[in-house]
Amino acid sequence: MIDAEWSEHCSYKSSKALLKTLPTSGSRVLLGPGYDAGVLDAGDGCVVSLHIESHNHPSAVDPYGGAATGIGGVLRDILSIGTRPIALIDVLRFGNIGESQRSQWLFRNVVRGIADYGNCVGVPTVAGEVEFDESFERNCLVDVACVGVGRRRDLVLAQAKNPGDIVVMAGGSTGRDGVRGATFASKSLARDADSERSSVQVPDPFMKKLLIDSILDALETGEVKGMKDLGGGGLSSALPEIASKGGTGVELDIRRLSLREPDVTPLEAMISESQERMLLVLDRVRHKKALSILRKYGVPATIIGHVTDDGDITVKDGADVVARLPADFLANPPLIPRDSRAPVRQSDWVEPESPPDLSKVLLSLLSSLNVGGRRWIYEQYDHEVGVRTVLKPGQADAALLKLPNGRLLAVKADGNSAASALDPYSGASGCVAEACRNVVSVGAEPVAMVDHLQFGDPGDARVYWGFEEAVRGVADYCRGVGIPVVGGKVSFYNEDQLTGRPIKPTPIALVAGLVDKDERFVGPALKGRGDRIVLIGKTSMELGGSAYHSTVFGVQNGVAPRPSPQEDRRTNSAVLRLIRAGLAESVHDCSKGGMAVALAETCMGRSIGAEVELQGAPATRMGPASLLFSESHGRYIVSVRKPNLSKAGGLLARARVPYAVVGTAGGRSLRISLRGRRLVDVDVAKIIEGKESSISRALGEEQ
Amino acid sequence: MIISNKAAAKDPEGDVIYQDLVKSRFSQAESVRVGKLLRFKVKAAGSLEAQRLVQTMCDELRIYNPAAHQCHVSPGRLSE
Repeated sequence: MIDAEWSEHCSYKSSKALLKTLPTSGSRVLLGPGYDAGVLDAGDGCVVSLHIESHNHPSAVDPYGGAATGIGGVLRDILSIGTRPIALIDVLRFGNIGESQRSQWLFRNVVRGIADYGNCVGVPTVAGEVEFDESFERNCLVDVACVGVGRRRDLVLAQAKNPGDIVVMAGGSTGRDGVRGATFASKSLARDADSERSSVQVPDPFMKKLLIDSILDALETGEVKGMKDLGGGGLSSALPEIASKGGTGVELDIRRLSLREPDVTPLEAMISESQERMLLVLDRVRHKKALSILRKYGVPATIIGHVTDDGDITVKDGADVVARLPADFLANPPLIPRDSRAPVRQSDWVEPESPPDLSKVLLSLLSSLNVGGRRWIYEQYDHEVGVRTVLKPGQADAALLKLPNGRLLAVKADGNSAASALDPYSGASGCVAEACRNVVSVGAEPVAMVDHLQFGDPGDARVYWGFEEAVRGVADYCRGVGIPVVGGKVSFYNEDQLTGRPIKPTPIALVAGLVDKDERFVGPALKGRGDRIVLIGKTSMELGGSAYHSTVFGVQNGVAPRPSPQEDRRTNSAVLRLIRAGLAESVHDCSKGGMAVALAETCMGRSIGAEVELQGAPATRMGPASLLFSESHGRYIVSVRKPNLSKAGGLLARARVPYAVVGTAGGRSLRISLRGRRLVDVDVAKIIEGKESSISRALGEEQ
Repeated sequence: MIISNKAAAKDPEGDVIYQDLVKSRFSQAESVRVGKLLRFKVKAAGSLEAQRLVQTMCDELRIYNPAAHQCHVSPGRLSE
């Protein structure tokens, strides 16, 4: 039990001290880190919950089942605080699927696992993000995030406060699957990962659907006093947590558990990670209604024990006590101080000369795996089930969902492994900045985020340094823009045992934003011929980790883009004001591939070209290729109808935001010039063709 | 060759058939497990060689995932 609960996966013993430096409070925050999900006040008694989880190690062994049970896990987190899961967001990392059979196998099956589970359980997958890099060849990353909605008065905490209350196991039976999963996730993948047999769990989305509906129904009785999902570490992790939070103890009889096989030992039962199980704490006297509701749905529910006042977790096998440990001792493992050491880097990087044909460069960027379209992935997902989805994948920079109170919720997750590998501080703050921009681009005000920090072995001082830098980056940026971190996850030991190399550091940020009732929202696509194109934000020479570098030169070196929270705060609020005032016809942010890719993307939606002259664009001194492809943060491309141009310009000038009117929408091709010299001239049809075919081409599915 | 979830793992499809269909009518039945059947026709000197050949194919081609599934190969007759 100690092995499971004190594993890195459950205890955060290497990361907790640093995570405490993140800003976690805000006017909308009802529940912050330390609970199964962060909860925000969305107004009118309506709450929004967010959580992110990963299932990297299981997915590397069994991509289909691993990804599916990852979804199952994050749905349980949202459910366990009493909210209904309404949308999934997935963030994936694989090796080069164009070259590696293994990565193709992982990629196809992870996507299928997410699709099958999400589609069956009736929760739409609305957004996501993918990168391909060879450091993920044998350790793919499968991060799944979920948002939920509920009513403030229905929130339930993971605690057992009243001695005498009964403890109930609801849902699936307990088997040997997932035994030692948490310990498994807390070590590097063994050379022969296939032999990790007991850690594989079998997904059962239909049981999960019943579990969700029955538990939300049972909450109405008021008989549920506490709730906790059974995830990593199983009972041996869930019991100490609810007891420690409530200041109580729990006594349970292992024989009352519904077991799938007769010969499961008490130890295996305590650490089993069998899926689709929830732990409920019900009122000692009034619990019949809740139990009968669960059974009405066909969800097995068994009373396995009760809350005590002795502060101990007591495990009995019939009359015999087989384990007794103080709950606080189990739930609060000693933290491990880790050494960190900054790697020595050579700083003599000289930007190579760009190829002469920049149109060709743009097209090769658009059709590269890391910039190309994601239709191949998201067309496998049901993104509309539940009929809340207002903006779907592929339609805008962030997904938009309708909340019961009439507001709209925007969500998007982002990460940048290449930039994070060069400079984890910039990479981590950059992914928060990018996710915020994506949410702002549809017209939503960012209100909170959850992060997911994925690294190699924390015992390696260079890896741990990267982790420290990433946490500092997220903390500084969030403080600067005033966005609380309401939850998150850390995953260590992501490394390739065959080569011994850790994955590229991969911080991920999921940002949620709100659009007020009757406020406007917009998409990224140019809308009308003749509309003027405004570039907002300043371009600096920041090509480190850029798509341009890796596509054209096959290198990742140089200065990674570093966002400025102070400037971003001003820019974001100015862009929101443009949208709300009805002055912006379309808004798209500049991210991977820089300004040129962003411009090309705005042409795609309605097949409208653009004529652009970058002479006045706010930028430091640099060559034309750098101007086109630098990935500086804080930039947007906004289209404005001609009559609104002066108003929009006035608004931006008053906000002290650098901008320039750089072009006009129209024609069938994207033409970009600099001081009269034509840099890019590409047909919109070619842009669309290149961008949409990148994944299927890599998989050899091209017709 | 029959592929099924490992004996220790859950089998949701089999569970549903058992719980919602079989259990209420046939009390003698204790569980149902679902699998996938692949029938190979191969050239081999005898059934043992055929069995080994099919096992090799399934292992090397990753027709099942050894982390999640078990596979059972047994020889049959050509007429089947």
